[in-house]
Amino acid sequence: MPFTKFTNLDFDQIKASLKDYLRANSNFTDFDFEGSNFSVLIDTLAYNTYITAFNSNMIVNESFLDSATLRENVVSLARNIGYVPRSRSAAKAVVSFDVATSVDTASLTLQAGLVCTGTTNESNYIFSIPENITTTVVDGVASFTDIEIYQGTYLQNTFIVDGSLDQKFILDNSFIDTSTIVVQVKGPSDTGLGREYSLVNNIIDTKSTSEIYLIQEIQDEKYELLFGDGYFGKKLEDSTVITVSYIITDGKEGNGPANFSYQGRVLSANNAIVVPTNNVTITTTSAAANGGDIESINSIKYFAPRLYSSQYRAVTARDYEAIIQDIYPNTESVSVVGGEEVDPPQFGNVLITIKPKNGDYISDFDKEQILTKLKQYSLSGINQKLLDLKVLYVEIDTAVYYNSSQVTNVNDLKTAVISTLNTYAQSNINKFGGRFKYSQVCKVIDNVDNAITSNITKVIMRRNLKALVNQVAQYELCFGNKCHINPDGFNLKTTGFSISGKTGTFYLTDTPTKDANGKLTKKGVVSIVKDIDAQGNYPVEIKSAGTIDYETGELMLNPINISSTVKANNVIEVQLYPESNDVIGLKDLYLSFAVGNSKINMVKDTITSGEKISGVGYKVTSSYLNGELKRV
Amino acid sequence: MAINRVSRAFRDISLSFEPHPVTKDLPILKNENAIRRSVRNLVETIPTERFFNSDLGSDVRSSLFDFIDFGTSSVIETQIRTTIENFEPRVDNLFINVDPRPDDNAFNVTIFFDIVGQDFPTQEFSFLLEAIR
Repeated sequence: MPFTKFTNLDFDQIKASLKDYLRANSNFTDFDFEGSNFSVLIDTLAYNTYITAFNSNMIVNESFLDSATLRENVVSLARNIGYVPRSRSAAKAVVSFDVATSVDTASLTLQAGLVCTGTTNESNYIFSIPENITTTVVDGVASFTDIEIYQGTYLQNTFIVDGSLDQKFILDNSFIDTSTIVVQVKGPSDTGLGREYSLVNNIIDTKSTSEIYLIQEIQDEKYELLFGDGYFGKKLEDSTVITVSYIITDGKEGNGPANFSYQGRVLSANNAIVVPTNNVTITTTSAAANGGDIESINSIKYFAPRLYSSQYRAVTARDYEAIIQDIYPNTESVSVVGGEEVDPPQFGNVLITIKPKNGDYISDFDKEQILTKLKQYSLSGINQKLLDLKVLYVEIDTAVYYNSSQVTNVNDLKTAVISTLNTYAQSNINKFGGRFKYSQVCKVIDNVDNAITSNITKVIMRRNLKALVNQVAQYELCFGNKCHINPDGFNLKTTGFSISGKTGTFYLTDTPTKDANGKLTKKGVVSIVKDIDAQGNYPVEIKSAGTIDYETGELMLNPINISSTVKANNVIEVQLYPESNDVIGLKDLYLSFAVGNSKINMVKDTITSGEKISGVGYKVTSSYLNGELKRV
Repeated sequence: MAINRVSRAFRDISLSFEPHPVTKDLPILKNENAIRRSVRNLVETIPTERFFNSDLGSDVRSSLFDFIDFGTSSVIETQIRTTIENFEPRVDNLFINVDPRPDDNAFNVTIFFDIVGQDFPTQEFSFLLEAIR
C-alpha cells in the first residue's frame, strides 16, 4: 500500500499508515506488537511526523486573519491593517462630594489615584481618577461636583529614553483601560513631569513636531507605546523621561456599585496633604456602568477588515458600523439607515441607532461625543442623527412535552430550556437586522434534552409604549412586521393604564374593519375598554381611540392623557401576533428575544412515557391564539 | 510468477544496533528472542512513557523501594502478569516467579511462557529488578 496520506493530524492514523507501509515493504513482522523494539521506533517516527504536521498546520493557520486562533497573532495581523483592538474599559460612575478644611488655601486638588471604594454583589471595587482635579475652596469647603470616577487601580510607569534602536516602552500590566493612559514627556528643558502627549490612531495630519504617541497591543494583552520618528511625530531626545499613568480595571465586573465610601487624598495649593475636617459623604449621580472586557478575537476578526475598508471615511452603512465600534467601545450593535429609506424621506440625513452593551439607552453626553467624533469621518453635506433605541421584543408561549420516565426533576429541565434559549438569543437574535427564526427555536428547544419529545410554540411580538404621564399626547408604535388578523378582534393586547379624570384600569383592544362586502380591509379600529366588570364584560370607554394597520404593523393612538400605568416606569406593554412566525427587526428596530417574559410550560408526554399508550387523556395544546382581551 | 512464502516467524529489530561482524547487517531478533525482548520491554516501560498510549507498561518501579518481602513480590507479580496479558498476545500459559532477595536489595524475576501457535518449548527467562539509587 503506497504511503500517500501526508495530511494526517492524528497520531494513531499516522502510526497506522506507517504500519501499513511496513506490512507491504519490510521483512520485519513485529511492529504490530506494542512491546516490540520496532514499535518503539514506529512510535518515535509517528510522534515526529505528528509534531511536524501539527506545526505546519498551525503556522499556516496562524498566518491569516481568518484562521488565526491565538490572540497574539490575530492582534498582530490586525495591526498590519492599522487596527488597534479595544482595550478593557473601566466602569465609570459620576459622584459629588464636599471636602471641608481648616487649612487656609485657595484651592484643593484631588490627587490622581484612589478616590473611593464601591460595593456590589458582596465584592469591593476600587474607583480612581486618571488625572488630578482641582477646585476652589469657598468658606472652607471644596465641592467636587459630578466628577467621573473609573473602576480600577491607578498605576504609573517611568521610562528614560536611552536612544537605542531596540528600546521598547511596554506597560507592564495587563487589563489596562487605554482611554485612561496619560503620557507626560520631560525633555531637557521641561519642568515638572513635562509636556502631555496625545494619543492618535493614525498618522493623518501628523507633523514632525506633533507631540503624539500611538499604542499597540502586544503579548499577554499588554500595551506598547510608540513615539514619533522626527518625520511623523516629534522624536524623543536621549535622557528624556516618560511618565505614563493608567488605570487597570476589572472591566465589566466593576459595573453596578452605586454607594461609595471616600478614600481619596487632597492637597492644598502648596501641595501639602490636607486632612478633611468633615466626614466626606459621596452622593452618586450615576452608578458605575459601561465597564467592558477587552475586544474578543472574533470581534477583531470581524471589525479589523471593515475598519480598513472604510479607510477612516464614513460612507456606507458598514463604514458607520465599524467606525462607531471604534469610537464608542460600549457598542453592542449598530443600525444605520439612510434618510432616503425612511417614510417620509429625510434626504441628507443618516439615522443611527446604537444598542449599548449595558442597558438600552445612550446618555445625551455620550450621544454628543459620538456625533462630534463621527464628524471627522463623515462626508460633508451629510448629517448624522442618533436615535433612541426602539426594541421589538419577541416572546414565545410554548408547551414543552417531555418524557417523564427520563426526567428526575422537571424544574431542572425547564431551567435548562430557559438557559439554552437565553444563550441562543444572545448569539443569534439580539441585534439590529436580526431575525427570529421559528424553526430554529423549535429545534433548539427539542435539542435541550433527550427527554423532550416535542414542543408547540406560539410567537408574540411586543413593544413597550412609554407613556408621557399626565400629558395629552399622541402615540405611534411600529412593529415592522405584518400582523395576524383574527376577524373577531383580540389581536391587540396591552397591559393596564389609567386615564386622567377617569377611574379604573383601561386596556387597548382592536376591531378589524370590513368593507361593504364583509371583506377584511387589513386595517382596524383601536378602542379603549375598562377592566372586566361583575357581569364579565369589558365596558367600552372610547370606541375610536386610534387605528391599526395590520399590513405594516403600525399603531396610531389619538391624543390621550395617561395618568399612570400598571407596569413600572410608565410602560404599557403592547402585543400583537405576527402573520409569519419568523419575525424580523426592520430598519432601526432592535430585535430582542425576551426569554424572561416568555411562557414556558412543561407538559407530560403521556404517550411516550408509556403512561397512556392509547392517547386517551393526552393533554393537547392549541397551536392557535387565545381569546383573552388583555395581555396576561 | 513466483509466490512469496509468508513466514509466520516473528522478526524484530535489535536496539543494540551493532552490525553483524561479517555481513554488516543490522542485528535481527527472531521468534522466542523477539518475544522475550518484547516482554522485557513491556515490564520496563513506565506507564505514560509512550506517546498517546499511557496505559502501556508496568509500574514495578514504584514497588522497588518497598520492603523486599513476599508481599511486595506478589504485587510485582500481579503487575507483570497484567501487563503481559494486556499487551503481549503472542504468549500463553504464563507463570511468573518473583523471588525476593533482601540481602541484595533486589527481586529475581523469572517468567515462563509458551509461544502461541509456534512449536517451541516453554520459554524461560529471568532478570533482576533492583533499586539502584
